[in-house]
Amino acid sequence: MSGRARRVVVVGNGIAGLTSAHTLREAGFDGELTVVGDEPHPAYSRPALSKALLADRADTAAHHLPPPGHGATELRGVRATGLDTGRRIVTLDDGTELPYDRVVLATGSRARRLSALPGELTVRALDDALLLRERLASRPPVVVVGGGPLGMEIASGCRAAGCAVTLVSQGPPLVDRLGAHLSRVFAAAAREHGVTLVECGSARLEEGAGHTRVVLDDGRVLEAPTLVTAVGDVPNTRWLAGTGLVADSGAVPVDARGLAAPGIAAVGDLAALPAPHGPGRVPLWSSAIEQAKVAARALVRDDEEPPPRLEPYFWTEQFGLSLKAVGRLPRQGAPEYVEGGPGGGPALMRWPHPDGSAAVAALGLRVPVPRLRRMSRAAS
Amino acid sequence: MRIVLDRPRCEGHGLCEEAAPRLMHLDDEGVLVLDREEVGEADAATADAAVRVCPVAALRLV
Repeated sequence: MSGRARRVVVVGNGIAGLTSAHTLREAGFDGELTVVGDEPHPAYSRPALSKALLADRADTAAHHLPPPGHGATELRGVRATGLDTGRRIVTLDDGTELPYDRVVLATGSRARRLSALPGELTVRALDDALLLRERLASRPPVVVVGGGPLGMEIASGCRAAGCAVTLVSQGPPLVDRLGAHLSRVFAAAAREHGVTLVECGSARLEEGAGHTRVVLDDGRVLEAPTLVTAVGDVPNTRWLAGTGLVADSGAVPVDARGLAAPGIAAVGDLAALPAPHGPGRVPLWSSAIEQAKVAARALVRDDEEPPPRLEPYFWTEQFGLSLKAVGRLPRQGAPEYVEGGPGGGPALMRWPHPDGSAAVAALGLRVPVPRLRRMSRAAS
Repeated sequence: MRIVLDRPRCEGHGLCEEAAPRLMHLDDEGVLVLDREEVGEADAATADAAVRVCPVAALRLV
């Protein structure tokens, strides 16, 4: 893409969009900058929604971020409905047409739902978390469907609020994300905190007498006044229909710099990044920030080489345990213990890869990212 | 400008150290140490990046 950018539109006001806008300014873009967000709220920290905001009744500001410093025109509470790459126009649901020279696609993803029933709650946006928090105040019994990190964090928050909690998981909780060893550690912690864990092959929802019911593949039926599902996320890319930018997976494939096409960057949860085993999304906080920085610079400095991509950083907090991990998990088999041991107490673990790198995880220890990265890179 | 740490909020992720290793680091216990609190124009962008990468907004610039 040649020519100096004069008008940039950032579609999405999550951490990916926010970081894109800041980085554009830092990279010298001093033209007209517009940030579009479909929520009425200023940008907030999404990881906090299922952690401190849900678990700590006293903390009503866990999700707050510092005010933006990008000086952009912020359009909040409006949704992008179309992108015309020929005319270079973003269309909004209030009829506005925003012309651009460069555009950042950062509309993230939404909760995948199991039904269209109103009794099915999800936790993806701030309003979802505030609604659930409000519901928990009367301590209703809760059924959580989904044994991934989000479902487990929600279950933990509901227990902290004093609710009886049943968690339905397809196979052992967290096993797909963290492997068998850490799955056992977290499942034990969940049980110790009073959660009833129910494993199943699959689950569907149906309307029962007064409550939405969860029907498991073996015929068991669970009912609760409050039902929350956490069964994955789906990229928000319907507004890009007809652009040719969206893959069959629903994500937007990008190059190493985060560009989907000349002058068009895609960052955060909707972007499929190039990887040795095929393009894939990395829907994590620090990855969104890194993607946004690289892509925003690429939009205004055409010739810059991308820095090497960092290994993903993942963390979770639940049932009194914290986990911080760098590198691709799950890895099969038992880890090496750099500190601690296999009992589920504080431990620093390493799963070596044949090339000398490793996935590294700190359980219940404050081991910062730079140290995890050094251990991840070091040959064993 | 000055970097201010809300210590109870800090969870020791260390993303700030990664963004601004000359301004701050985490010690052996995972406790954040601000090596420089007063930052000039030359380090403003780096300090801002450290503040903004924190997922729990434990840092701010005043």
